[in-house]
Amino acid sequence: MNDDTLMTTVREPFTAVHMDTPVEQIVGRGRAVRARRRILGLAGAAAMVAGAAVAVTALLPAGHPAGAQLAAWTVTGQANGTIRVTIRELRDAARLQSTLRADGVPASVTFGSEPNPSCREYPGTWNLSKSGIQADSGPPYIFAIHPSALPRGAGVQIGGKFDFAYSIPGHPATTYISPWPPPKSPVSGVVRVPVLMAGLVQASPQCTGLTSRLDG
Amino acid sequence: MDFAEFYRAAKDDCLRSVLVSVGDRDTAQELVAEAFARAWASWGTVSRHPVPAAWVVRTALNANISRWRRRRREVPLPDPGAVADLPAAGEAADGPVDAQIMAALLRLPGRQRQVVALRLFLDLDTVRTAEVLGIAPGTVTAHLARAIATLRDDLTSADQQETLS
Repeated sequence: MNDDTLMTTVREPFTAVHMDTPVEQIVGRGRAVRARRRILGLAGAAAMVAGAAVAVTALLPAGHPAGAQLAAWTVTGQANGTIRVTIRELRDAARLQSTLRADGVPASVTFGSEPNPSCREYPGTWNLSKSGIQADSGPPYIFAIHPSALPRGAGVQIGGKFDFAYSIPGHPATTYISPWPPPKSPVSGVVRVPVLMAGLVQASPQCTGLTSRLDG
Repeated sequence: MDFAEFYRAAKDDCLRSVLVSVGDRDTAQELVAEAFARAWASWGTVSRHPVPAAWVVRTALNANISRWRRRRREVPLPDPGAVADLPAAGEAADGPVDAQIMAALLRLPGRQRQVVALRLFLDLDTVRTAEVLGIAPGTVTAHLARAIATLRDDLTSADQQETLS
């Protein structure tokens, strides 16, 4: 099979794949994108002023004296095999990643940057209740990883970034975090907030180091 | 060219390109729709791009990298006993596409898949592919050569197994 034949063989089945979103829907969404850009331009400028101090406050556990020296994160193994990750500050991502891998968890950890581009989402994991990962809202942020419950070929991706949080006048009970949902009106109370997440990715040497969990 | 005309002409190939990269039809369609929306919002600039469809695909792939952040809005609860419901990685093939070919593509490393997709569906040459992906032309050539070799081995051995059985 020469190269041209191979490419034709691979391309041909995709002729059955069609984009069926109406152009009117695309244009409607495009208008929202334009509106969001205008709003976030204003929100970003406000956040630059107050961002750093708010962020540090938000990361400290409630009631802890300011200025205390805190470990950025802690990893502890439980008797039942669960690995508990407590994150207090978005620092030392590389060491956290190494620690998790040393504990047998295929892991990719990034703080303050985009996730590892080599990582691919594990199929069918939008429902994290089935992923073998439990997360509590923070701070501090706590993830309980159940290695034996990770699906075959899956690894754990943990990421932390600062986002903008804001309110929309008229909806004071709701705090939005950019980029979703796109605001349609002026926003207020813009602050930077730390956001942590965890999810499953396909384990690979480039993404998670280990290609499968190490049990026991 | 107005946006509607561009959308009609490019939407299917953009979807196919992104589908090869992300491996899931619904995800790909969502990403491509968002990328086209951004193209509409910046049509004055995007319409002057040498290959606007490549701009859309690149935007969709970038959005996919950021997409994981939205998962934080789920409130996860542990239910380890339910993991058996999860599909195996090999079941990621998209419906309308031949499962064997889709599986072979999904086994390629991500960058190789992106290079193959841009060549297959947008017919980009090496230099343009390198620009879109932000890598050196030589790297594109190497990725494409490895991808073709892997696909050939994969699909040829699958054909032989079918013949034997």
